[in-house]
Amino acid sequence: MTLILDHQTPAKQQNAKKHNHYSFKDFFQFEPNKGTIVDWNDAQNILATEDFIIGLVEGLEEEVGEASAAIMYTIGCEWGQKDAFFFEKWFEKEFDRPVRQTSLMFLLETWWWPYTAQGWGRWEVDMGDRRQGFMFINLFDSALARTLGDVGKPVCHLYAGLFSGFFTEMVKKQLGCIEIQCYSMGETYCKFLLGGQERIDAASFWLNEGATAKDIEKRLRAGEMK
Amino acid sequence: MLSQMQRLSFEAEGRYASDEELRFIPEYLKTYELRLQTYQKLQELEQTVIQQVQEKMLAQDPNILRSGNVDLAPKWKRDAIRTWRYSAAALLMDDTETLRDRFLLWFQTVMRAFGAQKSCNATYATMQEVVKQHLTPQQASLFLPILVLNQRLLGSVQ
Repeated sequence: MTLILDHQTPAKQQNAKKHNHYSFKDFFQFEPNKGTIVDWNDAQNILATEDFIIGLVEGLEEEVGEASAAIMYTIGCEWGQKDAFFFEKWFEKEFDRPVRQTSLMFLLETWWWPYTAQGWGRWEVDMGDRRQGFMFINLFDSALARTLGDVGKPVCHLYAGLFSGFFTEMVKKQLGCIEIQCYSMGETYCKFLLGGQERIDAASFWLNEGATAKDIEKRLRAGEMK
Repeated sequence: MLSQMQRLSFEAEGRYASDEELRFIPEYLKTYELRLQTYQKLQELEQTVIQQVQEKMLAQDPNILRSGNVDLAPKWKRDAIRTWRYSAAALLMDDTETLRDRFLLWFQTVMRAFGAQKSCNATYATMQEVVKQHLTPQQASLFLPILVLNQRLLGSVQ
């Protein structure tokens, strides 16, 4: 049997083109009879507990050791890539205009809003260095980091993959992403660097040598490569 | 009011609410008449106030609603009307929490995406001045804090 996912809350029935539909009641439709939670864009959502996140991260670590970071990153990449296609569809339906004819910052904010509503945290995109081929994303309240707590190393590989996959698809250019500061390292928020692979490799090298996010920003802005 | 009602029904589930927990209801009822009056007044004033805000802003900075050769005034007006109506509803229901959650937090990201914080700051600061001329002090005391919230959330540069 195919499950038809069709979001039909009163808010949507009243005004399907309403853009500010991210409050809990507007965005999610709980269907206890069908056992589904369908969001405004007709995507199926599931609720996951913090125990689930801990189980996922620690279970994977136990299975594959250090490779778990790379696996989480790859999962994120595929997710981001798929979501870019999904996003294009709902964006064009909601705003009656192609994604490529839209202000970039507005597009990005719109992409991230469902994630905010779903509990993945708020973000802030810093495009100040875009011309040099890299940019930073600050993430507040990472679901992974806030669950795992202070473990002394970056844990948001899933997000890094998500950003890499999504942006790669959107700009049609291979972009990597690395978390250079994490709430789980005792910082107040997480910070990601997005850019070409050579920059990501350089940042990764500096990070292993003990550089802070600020050092990495400085070095990149100075045009340094490892 | 609605947010407080919701919270009460959640927190007092399966027991009787305390007097303290119920206090917001008579307090709301005490101001209801004034809220309704002000709400109706805001409906009447919508076009006038927004027109006056626009004129005042342009008198202070003729380019504030321009971006290069693009005239942003029609878009600004749509946004100002939308915010005004959400604000009026928040005043009637005494519910800035819903205003924030359902509208302002989202609109803040949109305004930042377009780098419109400066014009938002000017809009809601000027709106406070203009509104004072049209509302009684009592009406203004209910509505001004909402405009301050709009100014703070939409107009602040990170």
